[in-house]
Amino acid sequence: MILRRAAKTIVLGVWLLITVFPLYWIVITSLKPKSEIFSMPLRYWPAEVTFEHYAELFSFADFDLYLLNSLLVALVSAAVVTVIGVLGGYVLARFDFPGRGALMLAFLVTQMIPLFIALGPLYLLMSDLGLLNRLAGLMVVYIAMLVPFCTIIMRGFHERVPVALEEAAQVDGASRLQAMVRVILPVMLPGVAATFIFAFVQVWNELFLAITFIDSEDAKTVPVAMNSFITQYDIDWGSMAAATVVSVVPTLVLFAAIRRYIVEGLTAGAVKG
Amino acid sequence: MSRPAFTARKAGLIALCLLPGVAFVAVFTYYPMVRGSVIAFQRYNLFDLTSTPFVGLENFRAVLAEERFWTALRNTGLWVGLSLFFQFLLGFGLALLLRRHFRGRGLYQAWVFFPWAMSGFLIGLLWRWMFNGQFGVINDLLLRTGIIDTRIGFLSSPGWAMTSVIVANVWYGVTFFAIMIMAALQSVPRELYEAAAVDGASRLRQFWHVTLPHIRPTLALIVLLRVIWILNFPDLIYSMTGGGPAGSTDIVTTFLIQQVMGGDYGRAGAVGFLVLGLLLAFSLFYLNATRFERSR
Amino acid sequence: MRTPLLAALAAATLTIAACGSGSSSDGGGTVRLRMIESLTSPDRTKLMKSLLADFEKANPGVEVELISPPLDSADQKITQILQTKKDLDVLEVRDHTVKSFSNNGWLAELPTTQWAGWQDLTELARKKAVEVGGKPYLIPYGFYQRALFYRTDWGMTKPPATWEELYQEGKRMTTGERFGYSFRGGKGGADYAVQMISAYNGEALDPEKSFYLKDKKTIFSTPEAAQALDLFVKIFKEASPPDSVSWGYPEMVQGFTSGVTGMLIQDPEVIKTVEESGVTSWSTAPIPKGPTGYAFQPVGYAGWGVTSFSAHKAQAVKLVQFLSEARQSLRFAKGNSLIPISSSAQNDPQFSQGAWKAYLEAQKDPKQVITIRPVDSPGWSQFLVDSDRDVQALLTGKKSTAEVLKAWDEFWTGQAS
Repeated sequence: MILRRAAKTIVLGVWLLITVFPLYWIVITSLKPKSEIFSMPLRYWPAEVTFEHYAELFSFADFDLYLLNSLLVALVSAAVVTVIGVLGGYVLARFDFPGRGALMLAFLVTQMIPLFIALGPLYLLMSDLGLLNRLAGLMVVYIAMLVPFCTIIMRGFHERVPVALEEAAQVDGASRLQAMVRVILPVMLPGVAATFIFAFVQVWNELFLAITFIDSEDAKTVPVAMNSFITQYDIDWGSMAAATVVSVVPTLVLFAAIRRYIVEGLTAGAVKG
Repeated sequence: MSRPAFTARKAGLIALCLLPGVAFVAVFTYYPMVRGSVIAFQRYNLFDLTSTPFVGLENFRAVLAEERFWTALRNTGLWVGLSLFFQFLLGFGLALLLRRHFRGRGLYQAWVFFPWAMSGFLIGLLWRWMFNGQFGVINDLLLRTGIIDTRIGFLSSPGWAMTSVIVANVWYGVTFFAIMIMAALQSVPRELYEAAAVDGASRLRQFWHVTLPHIRPTLALIVLLRVIWILNFPDLIYSMTGGGPAGSTDIVTTFLIQQVMGGDYGRAGAVGFLVLGLLLAFSLFYLNATRFERSR
Repeated sequence: MRTPLLAALAAATLTIAACGSGSSSDGGGTVRLRMIESLTSPDRTKLMKSLLADFEKANPGVEVELISPPLDSADQKITQILQTKKDLDVLEVRDHTVKSFSNNGWLAELPTTQWAGWQDLTELARKKAVEVGGKPYLIPYGFYQRALFYRTDWGMTKPPATWEELYQEGKRMTTGERFGYSFRGGKGGADYAVQMISAYNGEALDPEKSFYLKDKKTIFSTPEAAQALDLFVKIFKEASPPDSVSWGYPEMVQGFTSGVTGMLIQDPEVIKTVEESGVTSWSTAPIPKGPTGYAFQPVGYAGWGVTSFSAHKAQAVKLVQFLSEARQSLRFAKGNSLIPISSSAQNDPQFSQGAWKAYLEAQKDPKQVITIRPVDSPGWSQFLVDSDRDVQALLTGKKSTAEVLKAWDEFWTGQAS
């Protein structure tokens, strides 16, 4: 038993080291003055700690605005898509209706299409709808992008909720949707939380569509702004590292807040199968 | 499980619940895709868009005749297969280790979650920086610990480049599996374990006969999606090596990007179709093999 | 009791609808120009914005919105906007893109007769303005030409005059910790191979169509080309960092400024970067020559153009002219260290001192020849992508010199017909 625990601790420790070291390295790089980033031998702790890259980030670029934009787009898209996923997943799991299999396949196929094929016409469509350069436009595209995965994955979570649970609630006189909100959702909270954070992360980090559909400064998102640190002459590693550190914080905070639901959602007694 | 029969009254509910999702996907994914797929059958080169005649399967023929496409295809198999294997293995292991409560588990989860909080593009840059032949920390660490005595060109030698990008991808993808599998594990009703324990089943047997069957549909699904994503999202490779050196890390989707950069959108469209066909064929085969539909 | 869910959905939809922040067109007589740049960098964008502010001050009632996409995808982005044929007035046109943009009818012809600034441009600037399609589709804002940057403290008494000398010196400097030459094997690497091949072909080369000889054969078909390419590989293997097989622009410059390499061949923009780096003992020289004493290089350029579908063409033209006039264009050229387009720059000391001397020296040397690349061939973009891959294949031993040259020769023979 002790041996097993020791082995487990070692394995977990090694993996922690492997995941955290790159993070450490980014933080260190973001604190080094430019000259030290490219000096040999490498230093594992900066000789001189500087916050110049962070200062630059918020003074030159409107990084706070970009953060706000990203946050808004990611939260709204993730919320909408989670709701859509819960609803769609529910009927896909509970009912057998004509076209169900075809619909699932159609959803799956969207994940296989290289974005490039759809990009030109999508750009024209967005242009016609007046959705270019608007955060709303980005949200719409992101929602469309995420609906298939979120619906399919929610269907999986719905399937594992015993039908008896729902039926019991309905016997008590609750409508289907009431039953869903009161009985099923709490049981599925881990799935809902996982789906939400998945969607959030996808949107938060999305670069390609954001570059395509946003030109104007006031609608830029964080990944687009970060991509501008790669110039023809130089990759500004210091600023890039600082921006990376800043950009990872919101996701980590969100995860820390939600983690409990993902991993501890089903505590003893919460579900009677 | 029993399932309520399909009745007209329920049709309304079904339509209502599916409508938002279907509408978004139809308008913003399928409509542009169908319209866009036409260019694969046209001569469509940015150099001159004043004449874009239909050329039948000419673009496909040109792509299939390129040796580079076939190299990219082979690399794709390697990239997807190895990345998936290690991501799955490590992700599953992590999920199992993290299932039981221990002191500091919350903090631990928050830390190891970190790779997933970054974009593929950033992961690519980060690892490119760490794998750098001159200023890269990985070379430095290996040198200091005496494991190597000359620097390795991780991204510049064709022999190492693929290994390096796969390492980065595994590092990136483990968390996704861990989270999804953790969520699935939580859904296994405790009563099942209790029943198994009463029957005197060992932990291994419990895992094999209770846990695994219960989470199998989820596993099958995330593995499939992961295959599609690893193949279809080339940002990581693109920002690490751009497919190089000498095409040694080219996969079909970076090959597609190169066609776009070259301005030949017709051929790029053809590559897109081939990717779609490949994935579709794989998915159908996979779904059939895992009996996805019947597994519930 | 359906309400909570539906309300949530409705609320979300409303939020989406409410948070647009797009560029609405102002009413009330204000003209709003949209302008997009391509070769972006944070510093350059800052400078652009200050120039545009000056323009707005001088032209009340005109506002300019500057779009600065990330460099990597900028030209794709510009193409995308051009295809919609709306919402764009002024754009950055590069030598690589001018042909396809004008082919597709996206560029407006710029008036030159009614504009005093035209006569102030250097002869080169006027020539390049009309080089593609015979009409002024753009006014260049500056030129890129390469020079050799070298360390003066690494035991080299004078800069190498030929590629052979560069190889020798580079090999001598290479110790394992540091290397002789900032090689470019990644994106844009083939251009350096072509540069060497051109030099080795010497007098036979046709500068007006620099991928061909005067006898119409391609420059890749000769034994000299093979010699050049063999030396190219030797420079990589014996005088350059192994990592440089994947180096593009940023890495090769970083290699030099961080003290890893002792020689670098690059555009004048690098002058600024090197000055700001820790390297202090360095100088510049004209690019190395071939065995017969010739060196060829194209002059790279980019400039400002007006879209054919602009709704405010008069103001857009005015903006391009404003940016191309001596005061503004010199500020821009200095800020980005480019070879200026204004003839009044001759009197400006900045462009004849220090690192800039190498450029003056090259201009005076009749065997340092300016060429025109076939950027207007249909296959040009494809060649840029393909040839870079070929170079990497060559450097990593997957292809031989002969194979690469054969492929390039066939490609350009095909383009000629």
